[in-house]
Amino acid sequence: MQDSYIVAGIFIASLMTYLTRVLPFVFFRKKEPSSLVRYIERNMPVMIMVVLVFYALKDVKWESYPYGMAEIICIGVTIFLHVRFKNALLSIFIATIFYMFLVQAVFS
Amino acid sequence: MNFFSIFKMTIPVLMGYIPLGMAFGLLLSSLNMPWYYAFFMSIFIFAGAGQFLALGLFATQATILEIGIATFLLNLRHTFYGLSMISSLKDFSWKKYYVIFGLTDETFALLKTRDIDKKDRERVYLIITALNQSYWVIGSIIGAVLGNILPFDYKGIEFSLTALFVVLSIELYNKSKQHKPFLIALIIGFVGLFIFPSDKMLILSLGLCSVILILFRRSIEDAR
Repeated sequence: MQDSYIVAGIFIASLMTYLTRVLPFVFFRKKEPSSLVRYIERNMPVMIMVVLVFYALKDVKWESYPYGMAEIICIGVTIFLHVRFKNALLSIFIATIFYMFLVQAVFS
Repeated sequence: MNFFSIFKMTIPVLMGYIPLGMAFGLLLSSLNMPWYYAFFMSIFIFAGAGQFLALGLFATQATILEIGIATFLLNLRHTFYGLSMISSLKDFSWKKYYVIFGLTDETFALLKTRDIDKKDRERVYLIITALNQSYWVIGSIIGAVLGNILPFDYKGIEFSLTALFVVLSIELYNKSKQHKPFLIALIIGFVGLFIFPSDKMLILSLGLCSVILILFRRSIEDAR
C-alpha cells in the first residue's frame, strides 16, 4: 500500500467524519434554534440511546446457538442492577464480567 | 467537579475503548500497515466504526472518493448528536470545535446524560472528550504494536458499551417528562434490528425516529 494513498485516505475520512459532527452547528450558528429544534433536542437523546442498545446487538446470530442468550441475559442483569441500585459503574462492571464469563466459559 | 470524579464517569468508556481500539490496531497491523498509522487515524478520524471501515476500504484499494462517501454515510448519525448539543455548547469558546470533533456515540452518551453545572461545563466536556480520545488512541497503539502477544482473554469485554447504552437509556428515561419517545424508540430499535440491513440499521432507525418525533409532535407533547 502506498503511503500517499493511505495519507489521502486518512485525510478524507477525517474531513468527512468531522463534517457529519459539525454540520448542525454551522447551520444554526446565526439564528436561535426554533421551538421545533429544541423539542427534537429534548426528546432525541433518549431515542438515540435506546436505538444504540439495539444497534449494539446487530452482529448477534439469533438463529444459531447460543441464540443471543448471553446478550439478552446480561441486558436483563444490567437493567435489574441499575433499577435496583442506581449505580452506573456497578451495573456496567458486573454485567460485563458476567457476559465475559458466559461467552468464554458457558456458551463457548 | 474534580478531575477524579470526571475520570470515574469515563471508566465504562475506558473499558470499551481500550479493547475495541486494540482490535482496530490488530486489524491494521494484519494489513501490514505500520503502527503509526493507527496513531494518526485515532488522532485525526476518531470514529470507531469509521476507522474499521477505512481499513476495509484501504485493503480493497477503494478510491479516495469512495472512502469519502462511505465515511460520510456511515457517520451521518452524528448529525443527530450535534443537533441535540447545540444549546449545551452555545456559550463555549473555540474549544467547542474539539468537543464537536470528539462527539462519538459514547462521548455523546456521557455528555448528554449528566447534569453538569453551567459554569463548569466547558471544562468538564473538554476533559471527558480528551480522556475518551486518549483511551481510544492508547488502545489502538497497543493493538498495533503488541496486541497479539498479550496472554489475557478479553473476549466479551465489548459488552461494557452495550451495558453503558442500557444504563444511559434508563437514566434518560427517568429524566424525561415525556415517555412516548422512549417507547417509540424501543419499538423502532427492535423492529429495525430484524428488518433493516445491519450496516444501515442505525441511520435508518434514527431517521425513522426523527420523522415520527416530528410528525407526532402534538400528541407526544400533549401527553405530559
